[in-house]
Amino acid sequence: MDDIDAMFSNLLGEMDLLTQSLGVETLPPESSSSTSKEVNFTMGFADMNVESLNELEENDFDALMADLMADLSATENKLVAELEEQKDAKVANPDLPAPPRELSSYVVPSLSTTTSPDTGLNTTYTPLADSHIPSFSPPQPPQHEKPSMEDVEAQIKSDKIKLALEKLKEAKVKKLVVKVVMNDGSSKTLMVDERQTVRDVLDNLFEKTHCDCNVDWSLSETNPELQLERGFEDHENLVDPLSAWTRDSENKVLFQERTEKYEVFKNPQNFYLWKKDKKTLKDMKDRDKELLVEENFCGPSIIVPDLEGVLYLREDNKKSWKPRLFLLRASGIYYVPKGKSKTRDLVCFVQFDNVNVYYGKEYKNKYKAPTDFCFVLKHPQIQKESQYIKYLCCDDSWMMTLWVTGIRIAKYGKSLYENYKTSMAKAQLTSAWNNRSTTTTSTPSTSSTITNAKASGKANGYAPQPPEEPVANIGIEPPPPPPLPPAQILPPHPTVKRSPSPNATTKKLPSLPTKYPPSQATIFNLPAPPLSQDDSSESPPDFLPPPPPLPDPGFLSLPPPVSFLPPPPDSDFPLPPPPPDPAFCPVTNRVPKPAPPPRQLYMGADVPAPPPPPPPSFTPTSSVIKTAPLPPKRTTPMQAAPPGGGDFMSELARAMAKKRANQ
Amino acid sequence: MAVWDLSVTLEDLGAEAPPITVSVTSDLHIGGVILKLVEKSQVRRDWSDHALWWEQKQQWLLRPSWTLEKCGIHADARLIFMPQHKALKLGLPNGLTIRVRACFSGSVFRTVLGICKMLSESRPQTELSLLRPVEEKKKKKDKDLSEEVYDLTDVPLTSVSRPCLYNGMPAHFADSPKTEKVYKMLSVPQPAPAPEAIAKLYRPASIVDKAHIHSRWLDSSRSLMQQGVQENDRLWLRFKYYCFHDMEPKYDAVRLTQLYEQARWAILLEDIDCTEEEMMLFGGLQYHINKLSLSEPQAMTSTPAMDDLDSALQCLEVKLDVGGSSPQDLLDNLTAPELNDYLKIFRPKRLTLKGYKQYWFKFKDDSISYYKSKEESLGEPIQQINLKGCEVAPDVNVAGQKFCIRLLIPAPEGMNEVYLRCENEEQYSRWMAACRLASKGKSLADTSFQSEIQSIRSFLAMQQTNPSTNSSQTDDNINTHSLVSPRYSKKYKTKQLAPKILDAYQNVAQLSLTDALLRFLQIWQALPDFGLSFVVVRFKGSRKDEVLGIAPNRLIRIDLGVGDVVKTWRYNNMRQWNVNWDIRQVAIEFDGNVNIAFCCVTADCKIVHEFIGGYIFMSTRSREQSDTLNEELFHKLTGGHEAL
Repeated sequence: MDDIDAMFSNLLGEMDLLTQSLGVETLPPESSSSTSKEVNFTMGFADMNVESLNELEENDFDALMADLMADLSATENKLVAELEEQKDAKVANPDLPAPPRELSSYVVPSLSTTTSPDTGLNTTYTPLADSHIPSFSPPQPPQHEKPSMEDVEAQIKSDKIKLALEKLKEAKVKKLVVKVVMNDGSSKTLMVDERQTVRDVLDNLFEKTHCDCNVDWSLSETNPELQLERGFEDHENLVDPLSAWTRDSENKVLFQERTEKYEVFKNPQNFYLWKKDKKTLKDMKDRDKELLVEENFCGPSIIVPDLEGVLYLREDNKKSWKPRLFLLRASGIYYVPKGKSKTRDLVCFVQFDNVNVYYGKEYKNKYKAPTDFCFVLKHPQIQKESQYIKYLCCDDSWMMTLWVTGIRIAKYGKSLYENYKTSMAKAQLTSAWNNRSTTTTSTPSTSSTITNAKASGKANGYAPQPPEEPVANIGIEPPPPPPLPPAQILPPHPTVKRSPSPNATTKKLPSLPTKYPPSQATIFNLPAPPLSQDDSSESPPDFLPPPPPLPDPGFLSLPPPVSFLPPPPDSDFPLPPPPPDPAFCPVTNRVPKPAPPPRQLYMGADVPAPPPPPPPSFTPTSSVIKTAPLPPKRTTPMQAAPPGGGDFMSELARAMAKKRANQ
Repeated sequence: MAVWDLSVTLEDLGAEAPPITVSVTSDLHIGGVILKLVEKSQVRRDWSDHALWWEQKQQWLLRPSWTLEKCGIHADARLIFMPQHKALKLGLPNGLTIRVRACFSGSVFRTVLGICKMLSESRPQTELSLLRPVEEKKKKKDKDLSEEVYDLTDVPLTSVSRPCLYNGMPAHFADSPKTEKVYKMLSVPQPAPAPEAIAKLYRPASIVDKAHIHSRWLDSSRSLMQQGVQENDRLWLRFKYYCFHDMEPKYDAVRLTQLYEQARWAILLEDIDCTEEEMMLFGGLQYHINKLSLSEPQAMTSTPAMDDLDSALQCLEVKLDVGGSSPQDLLDNLTAPELNDYLKIFRPKRLTLKGYKQYWFKFKDDSISYYKSKEESLGEPIQQINLKGCEVAPDVNVAGQKFCIRLLIPAPEGMNEVYLRCENEEQYSRWMAACRLASKGKSLADTSFQSEIQSIRSFLAMQQTNPSTNSSQTDDNINTHSLVSPRYSKKYKTKQLAPKILDAYQNVAQLSLTDALLRFLQIWQALPDFGLSFVVVRFKGSRKDEVLGIAPNRLIRIDLGVGDVVKTWRYNNMRQWNVNWDIRQVAIEFDGNVNIAFCCVTADCKIVHEFIGGYIFMSTRSREQSDTLNEELFHKLTGGHEAL
């Protein structure tokens, strides 16, 4: 028991210290900080699961580091001062790491992947506490700790133990490092803990990409083996479905706009009155649409669209597809057996408790389906061909959208509507903000872009020596990632069928301006052409030269930053403070407001009245992945970003101030 | 002015008593007639509720200041002087009968409001109405013997708009133990009926039968007396409009319970179609609701305010608990309880007949591990099976002493089928409960573990007993056949039915009584045919009868033969509707110059008119103005020519 007490007190000391350091407002602008930070890093990593780190792709690593630094930057300055001393302390105190070990026994995730992290697989779970606590243990000065612990009464001690236990629980939270493939094929790596919903992650991505935050943005998963795709719902926990992936999975998480995500709330008549003629539906008044949504989603129970029709069912283990009359009810999908009446003899085909609904891709080829408009119902755990997967095929894409949406309504009910309202609120807030900032706008943004480009060059690993600004330094710490040869991203991968050719050309050209909507282009000073060339040659997308992030201009009018200070320590957001900024800016660039509609990607032309197709930018994704298979997710050995950011505005403001400082 | 004799029957003197004759002049007002009448009768009593009823014209003379001339009364008029409020037997949605004093002189709309005010503490609602009951074919005698009538005629009619609560019930119920019992009957769901009783009741066999039921609604703009309802007649009180405005479970115990009862009977009597899966879920919910309403009747009668306080206190306690517990407790919480036992496992594989093999099983958190023997349980398990997200099904034969748990465990390659065989009921209940919890991602530490075990046991017991020997119900043993409609009763034996209902029950077993009622209603309301009232009509220009379905938000035209929906019109596209009372035809105009017209075959067109007007009225009620009921508007929308 004494041992445990000691362990806890140590642990607690560390945590207290960490908390204190987070609270420090002012920063010592020491010039030496950059070097000591390096030390800090090596220290932090020393205790970590090294194998898993090694297998991180270099650019992943960079992105991840940038991410982590965002969290750490607040604390690091505090830590720096104590670093040298800590190193010694650590050597002298061999039992310090003990508590974390104890922790790890709680932490080991149920998945067995932890045992062999060096297999080079896509998924690696590492006990988190194992890594993150030790990484902070160095800063804990034993002399701080000892006197206080000796003096406290048993009561206080037990209180602290309790506190530690709570933190233990916290540490038990599973975290994954997820690689999210952007619309343009670039990718972002971020840490997701199991309490975070897809909504949280989306918000996080919004902040990182400075996209327009409209309600269509969604995260989705693809399963290349089964040729499936599914948009995650905003209320889902992201970690859960990802945990079902196999270790050698080639599944991906995509960040894209999916118009069908909330289409039912935008045009409910197309779903609830789908039998009516097209013209009536098109002329539907807004008031009537609202009424429909109200009727079906705001009552005591959610009303599922009244769907019935012939679908083709893939027979088990056979190659044939048999037509059957299917009906959707709130309780499941039913079919009418041959020669039986529709009202009384319905046979349950599937209920939704244990299955998710997926879009099937190119099943005409793969399974000889009558059409390519297929959807699939399966348990989320199932990742490979199996008799427990149910395949259905519709006549056209609209029927497919109807059914999939209907199933989602039946399965998720009210949450779907709640999600939509949340998304709307978010989108409105953002657009209001953007409008405001565009008015103040302008010229200085060019200069900031250039600076960013420079910074990104450094961050990319071209300048491994400690750069002059401590902040920019942070991103560079890990082994410099060799830039991928440009050729790798350029040609669309043959296996990807979606509109490959226009894509390749856009990719090759210095295409930044085209990715902005004309209106944006007139307002902003676009990055100079050389920059965009830079873009195409320096392939790791995360480090592409940044155009000004959308909200940028608004901040340029803010009072200039006082000095070249490292980020204020009070920022404990998951957001990257300035230093990693360069790394993220390019993404802004690539996911501008009018980004190519994602439905292009997986629905083809079937969406009613599709807007003129913007340059599709999806293809490179796969080619990047293929040439250098990147692990879509990993557990990092580092502390996860605190979920659910903080004040977005102030964060942005701070980021801008930093940027100015860097110039 | 000429004086003439007017003879008035005084009902209170009895039917045999001769009419009293008063001499009147044509300019005497009604009040004066009554005054003379009372003086002449020489009966001293409170006459304030009495009024004159004109028999030939079937109308009340309710305006004391109108003169006889103005009313058009001559010497040949047969008038009856009688109370406006009389006893009425009401068949409630829960199947029980209650005697109340109802107003026979006001419109049925007001009468219903008055009844509701007395029965329930909720704000005035218009969704209920009265209809004439379906004639019972059985002899009256045996019915009368068995039927218990709850008498509420002594309860004074309050004029208070919101009766205050006393002891969790409207004050007038708290007067005597007798009335308290009535309140309990109203606010607590009734136990499941015997399956034989369900089978005996009238069930609509076709859509036309269903349409006939709706021909029985009383006209809400005329009085009971005008519609030929006599004292002590029996009427049904039912939810007529499927639009339940402003339901607040805390304050609407009676309303919620009665609505549940109506929904339950609609399902049991196959008034609304549902699939087998839905029926089993309804069955599971009924089972749960029965159990709860038998075991905790107190919970229902506690006042809402107390509920709030209780929950707040509980919440606080929980918080304090967490705050005050010792570190050891917290540590304990981190280490969940386990189950350990020898069980037999069997994995069906293609072409193998390998039987069950015995291993030492350990259940911890949400996974099962098994070992060669107990001694080896400290080492590495042979296999560990995570049950989260898996499907659990019973494979039990009590008579054959077979207690197996069938698990379908999801894996990347598909679902793995695993059977666990337990030795006895006891073991089975525990492991089954654990598997069920784990499949939902809960651990054994979850509070529901014990209750889960309990319910599995009681369902096992259900399969043990022979239904024929056990038709009488005990408190905790409910015949599963009384939870489903006769269709499914016939289809399945008890042995087959019980596991199906248990399966559905598992998903709702954690709900509180109110939540279970609400869930039941939710599923009911999500049925595709929910809210449809049918009328057989003949569309203009059509040669055959068709069915008009009237829903809260739309009208649908249904093919009588096939039952398919032909066309749907939504109210919010409706421009106007008219009733030609002479040719009894309803004509409706929708946006886009869509005009329809039909005559009603099974019901009076006033009923259809009232349904449409009523639903449109409901849609005008918003949450904010819920306290004031715009009666005038309702009357305008539903009244027909009486309203003009």
